[in-house]
Amino acid sequence: MTQILGGHLVGKYLKEIEKVDTVFCISGGHIESILDSFTEYEIRTVDVRHEQAAAMMAHAWSVYAGTPGVCLVTAGPGFTNAVTGIANAYLDNAPLVVLSGKHPLRDDLKGALQEMNQIDVIKSITKWAATCYETKRIPEYLSMAFRHAVSGRPGPVFLELPPDILNVRVPLAQVPMSARPTRKFTVHPDDWDLRQAADIINNARRPLFIGGSGVGLSRCSAALGQFIDRTGIPFILTNCGRGELPDSHPLSLWDVGNVGIQLGMMQADVVIAAGLRFNWLLQSGAIIPPATKVVRIDIDPHEIDRNRTADAGLVGDASSVLGQLVPLLKRGEHSAWTRDLRTASRAFLTSELELREKPSNPIHPIRLVAQIQKFVGEDAIYVIDGGDTCYFGLTGFSSREKAGVMATAAGLLGCLGTGIPFAMAAKLARPDKKVLLLNGDGSFGFNSMEFDTMVRRNIPVVCVVNNDQAWGMIKHSQELSIGAERLQCCELGVRPYEKMVEGLGGYGELVTRDEEIVPALKRAFDSGKPACINVITDPTVTSPATPLFYQSLKMD
Amino acid sequence: MRLSLLLFILSLKLRDAALRNRAFKNYIGTVRLNILIRTRDGKSGRLFVFDKGSVSSVKGANHACDAALVWSDSGTAFTVMLKGTDEASFQAAAAGKLTVEGMSYYIQWFNDAVKLVM
Ligand SMILES: Cc1ncc(C[n+]2csc(CCOP(=O)(O)OP(=O)(O)O)c2C)c(N)n1
Repeated sequence: MTQILGGHLVGKYLKEIEKVDTVFCISGGHIESILDSFTEYEIRTVDVRHEQAAAMMAHAWSVYAGTPGVCLVTAGPGFTNAVTGIANAYLDNAPLVVLSGKHPLRDDLKGALQEMNQIDVIKSITKWAATCYETKRIPEYLSMAFRHAVSGRPGPVFLELPPDILNVRVPLAQVPMSARPTRKFTVHPDDWDLRQAADIINNARRPLFIGGSGVGLSRCSAALGQFIDRTGIPFILTNCGRGELPDSHPLSLWDVGNVGIQLGMMQADVVIAAGLRFNWLLQSGAIIPPATKVVRIDIDPHEIDRNRTADAGLVGDASSVLGQLVPLLKRGEHSAWTRDLRTASRAFLTSELELREKPSNPIHPIRLVAQIQKFVGEDAIYVIDGGDTCYFGLTGFSSREKAGVMATAAGLLGCLGTGIPFAMAAKLARPDKKVLLLNGDGSFGFNSMEFDTMVRRNIPVVCVVNNDQAWGMIKHSQELSIGAERLQCCELGVRPYEKMVEGLGGYGELVTRDEEIVPALKRAFDSGKPACINVITDPTVTSPATPLFYQSLKMD
Repeated sequence: MRLSLLLFILSLKLRDAALRNRAFKNYIGTVRLNILIRTRDGKSGRLFVFDKGSVSSVKGANHACDAALVWSDSGTAFTVMLKGTDEASFQAAAAGKLTVEGMSYYIQWFNDAVKLVM
């Protein structure tokens, strides 16, 4: 009778049932037999330099590849290192499957190496967390993990597997193996609610559609395209939803960026929000005036009236809901309103728009972003990490790609350090696309050792460091709150990040003048290597995100 | 003339609020910010200086500032500012009669401060 090692059941299930071809990990004794199963079942491993990066890359894989991302970490410190990445995925509703080692059950409470109660730590930041106690049930547990990760509102799941079940053999014939990956299902909103929403939209004079990550997770380009074509409503797509329709779509407001969002939300008579939480960035809904009608579409019924009672609430996957809504909608025309919104937004953006065109020395970050965009173009994936840097990148980059412009540090966890792992996963998931990462110099430090991983695994991301020689957003916020003469823990100085990347085997360049930006980008992409262009920018510049952030924490 | 008077009255109200109005005092906090309101032709305008809890003001349209609200003409500026609504400002901007120079967030911040004293 064929025998199989418990650890090998992991690789077998991942490959044969879920069709997983890539796992992000760092090795460890407790998970050795799982690692060996990846050789056996030909699963690509991307072994990183910090487990945080493994979790973040697997999260990002779910965004860019559209299938759940899997990471594997060892017991104890491997697990604790991954926690930030898991928390980030939890707040971003990303289907991340975390497999973890665990100290031997045999040695429980004996002071075993890396013994700790991992489940209690991880419970509050996962949709589902479990320990598997029996070898034969490994596939069953894995199947549960995947189902929880992708069903309803997606999210991270955690499964720990102790050596007691990984390092023993069982007869393969006795192992129940599920026949298929997770079933797909859709939720249908109430018909009355659908009619109510259609009625509101049909009678709107100044409507605005705003889509968030739920739009991206439901892959709703087709349904959203029909909705927009039919209604003529101007729209803006954010987070992972950005790119479901291209930024260059005639009704997309990304050309006027955040100001367009703010003005649109304040002046619209109807706001249709899909797959988007009304969180602090939208002043928890308070940005929408009380008289404005709100139609909300969300897969999670709890979101429908959260922070703002909706006038119509449609529960379900954004794609299927929009598909059901379209036949009830009249053909609409809102060109005058769209034009007004654009013109008014541009009037508020005069200086920013001018800065894009004007060479600047010291380099202004808005100009830096504009030059990058001009050179790299729309056929690329942009990832942005940092504080102020996120604002400059989000408003200045534009892409035709799904999730083509993502400020990874501007999620709900506001987690710096996410940029490098996300950019790496983007390049692995879509190798034919250019991937440009714009990184604050502060946030660059968290995961910059991953340039080693990029070199080892041939992941040619081009990273531009917006080097304002400080933790910029915090520095400028302290200038507003504490005062410029008492800054604390804000300054970083000029550091040769490009040399560090060169030292690891990548390509590096320092840029200090406007005219050097484009030639340096060209050389970086031409090198075919993971690259870092360290651009020294004006340290006095701040973004509108900083005073917003400062105001949000004021308590009196 | 009417605009200059309106801006002057606004400066008095803001200065007074910085001394007496608790909500306003909390709102402006320790922020240091120079906001200019002026007409496009540079003929009238006023600078509002927020400096760590105090507000002062200087007449004229040619001061250095962090952000400026620039009106096509003093008549429009007077009418829209007197209305004091976001919608009126939006319509003026959509009609090309209002632009912002510098960071528009600062103007939003200033407008919200003004709302607290109106
Ligand atoms: C992991 C983490 N640590 C600390 C912070 C607090 N924080 C928010 S913005 C910021 C400064 C970011 O500096 P940098 O990456 O250089 O970008 P810049 O603001 O200069 O564009 C810090 C420290 C955070 N959000 N995340």
